[in-house]
Amino acid sequence: MSWKIWSLKKSPWVFHVNAGACNNCDIEIVNLLTPKFDVERLGIKLVGSPRHADALLVTGVGTRQAVPRLKEVYRQTAKPCVVFLVGACSCGTGIFHEGYHVEGPVDKIIREEDPNAIIAYVPGCPPKPEAMISGIVKALSAL
Amino acid sequence: MNQEELNNKLSEIKDKLIAVEQPADSRIYLTCEAENSYAVNKFLFEDVPLRFVIATGIDSDDCFEILYHYAYDETGCMVTLKAFIRDRENPAIESIAPFMPAAEWIEREIHDILGIEFKNHPDMRRLILADDWPEGIYPLRKDAKKPVKRPDGEVCSRPIVQSQSPARRTVELSKPVVAVGPFHPLQEEMEFFQLTVDGEIVTDIDMRISYNHRGIEKISESLQFDQVPFLVSRICGICSASHPLAYVQAVEDIAGVQPPERALYVRTIINELERIHSHVLWVGLAGHFIGYDTVFMWAWKYREPVLDLLEEITGNRNNYGNVKVGGCREDIPDELTPKILKELDKIEKKMEMLTKAVLDDPILHARLKGVGILTREAAVDYAVTGPTARGSDVGIDVRRDDPYAAYGALDWNVITQTEGDVFAKAVVRLLETFESIKIVRQALKNLPDGPVTTEVKEIPPGEAVGHAEAPRGETFHYVRSDGGNRPVRHKVRAPSYVNVPSFRASCIGQHIADVTITLAAVDPCYSCTERLAVVDQHKNVIHDYDTLLRLSREKTARIKKEMGAPELKMEDL
Ligand code: SF4
Repeated sequence: MSWKIWSLKKSPWVFHVNAGACNNCDIEIVNLLTPKFDVERLGIKLVGSPRHADALLVTGVGTRQAVPRLKEVYRQTAKPCVVFLVGACSCGTGIFHEGYHVEGPVDKIIREEDPNAIIAYVPGCPPKPEAMISGIVKALSAL
Repeated sequence: MNQEELNNKLSEIKDKLIAVEQPADSRIYLTCEAENSYAVNKFLFEDVPLRFVIATGIDSDDCFEILYHYAYDETGCMVTLKAFIRDRENPAIESIAPFMPAAEWIEREIHDILGIEFKNHPDMRRLILADDWPEGIYPLRKDAKKPVKRPDGEVCSRPIVQSQSPARRTVELSKPVVAVGPFHPLQEEMEFFQLTVDGEIVTDIDMRISYNHRGIEKISESLQFDQVPFLVSRICGICSASHPLAYVQAVEDIAGVQPPERALYVRTIINELERIHSHVLWVGLAGHFIGYDTVFMWAWKYREPVLDLLEEITGNRNNYGNVKVGGCREDIPDELTPKILKELDKIEKKMEMLTKAVLDDPILHARLKGVGILTREAAVDYAVTGPTARGSDVGIDVRRDDPYAAYGALDWNVITQTEGDVFAKAVVRLLETFESIKIVRQALKNLPDGPVTTEVKEIPPGEAVGHAEAPRGETFHYVRSDGGNRPVRHKVRAPSYVNVPSFRASCIGQHIADVTITLAAVDPCYSCTERLAVVDQHKNVIHDYDTLLRLSREKTARIKKEMGAPELKMEDL
């Protein structure tokens, strides 16, 4: 294991990107911080800038207006990083698949930017906070 | 005015109309030609006066229709004015925005999606479609195709906020706007705000939406009537009970279906539980914005048991998928009643303490009173709804004005405050939580026996409006059916759509340290301030969202120090 990966796995700092979601996945992500789930006790911390982040939590379908900004955020994130696709929307555009303003799914967009991106999927609509925590743990243990 | 007087009043404008229909007492449809729409709208808005709800643009084969939806809250009557634009080549109609700021956004939106020109509109910039959406493709026209992807290698285009307003023209925009701050971890959706400031004082505010536009109205046209509730509950995760309810009520109106009594009560309970968790969530966020993070943590902790109850009833913490045309999918099992009551008792106690702590705290008084005032007049002009309106002494509430579900049979109060400032809105939300608890208790006590669903055979041709009081205000749905199994047009108006533009009335003239909390006071799906730039007219200093949050918190700290007051006692909670 390279030292980069080793440092990535300890205390992952995550940055949250909404790429056109219904707000629900996002609220559940904020919920992770609050007393019932309190992910900070596991060393997981939400940070305010992608440059500080080890992982991105992406929600939403990737709307036409959001996609360029999403790519920009990915470019700004320090590599290596893990991209977590949270929710049915970002995993595969979900119920909004047909939409004219939808460019997703998000994994395709991230791969356009970086074919070797590390992408983990947390399905659900919205995934329960427990599922998100478990997704993060599983993905990091697999590295 | 009662309903009869309203009907008489409306007949004054008869000579400008083609037809008047009144399928039910509280539903009126007027029809006119595009040439007369300005005069009729002016009459409806200024002389009757009605509250503007939203407009709907429809592509109906041989012409375009613009539907102006109004509400008369005293009798709960919904008035819809249909204007026909016969010229398909160059569709145009007179704009009503000059005398009604509430219509400004929707006319821009209709222009985006249908390509209709609004003559004399003050600000016809793009609103809902992406910056790189090709001009001339109108997605809601029936023959529209999805436009091709953007060319390869294109750089990230920043939202270009141009403006006609003189205050903004003096500002050099090209450079500052690029420097918009990062996403903030506690903010969810993307919207772009640009504030122009002179020293410490905000002189102008501008907004760019579209980041979250998913084209739900068009998707809805490709789904069957029964599938649409799942889609509309995903418009906004936190209004995921009220959107489908408003839609379902519209469809039930078309089909002439009356859902069973028990279903009405179940709907009421779920909607009120949603209101409780949503208001508590807001209290937490408001605390965060002014630097009371303890309030944030505790409020969200109290919210959890409500989500657990909802999960037990419907199977999901949000996006319940419970309401359907003709009733509900899941019943509330009788065994669950004692548990719900017990949880409500607990929540009520916590909320009492929290409310008392907020109302008695001198620092919060000093910090929030007189801040971000939305006057009663501005509230009417911008046609705001929900707690935003009720905090400004506009006592409207769909639950009482046009009773749906079981609200008409229960005993509860509409909370209003007169001041219109942030504090008033906070009080409205806090007190409403208790009313919601009261409603759920009564509904559980009176829950009738019987099934929760009736069979619905088919949806005949027709059109109807449905509305419901979401935590943030009135959600409005208009549905048109041609007798097939999908809606031919489905218009949605979420409450934030009218509440957010009122920032222009409440933010201008404010200190920038007060902006975050003023924006948050509307509870704009608590989303809006994420991408936010402040341009200083003289110094050209750019503040990002984090700076604003810091300024807001520093102001609280300063007041605290000046007053020498003890901190809000959170250990009691
Ligand atoms: S996955 Fe579901 S809950 Fe999450 S953003 Fe999409 S629609 Fe909303």
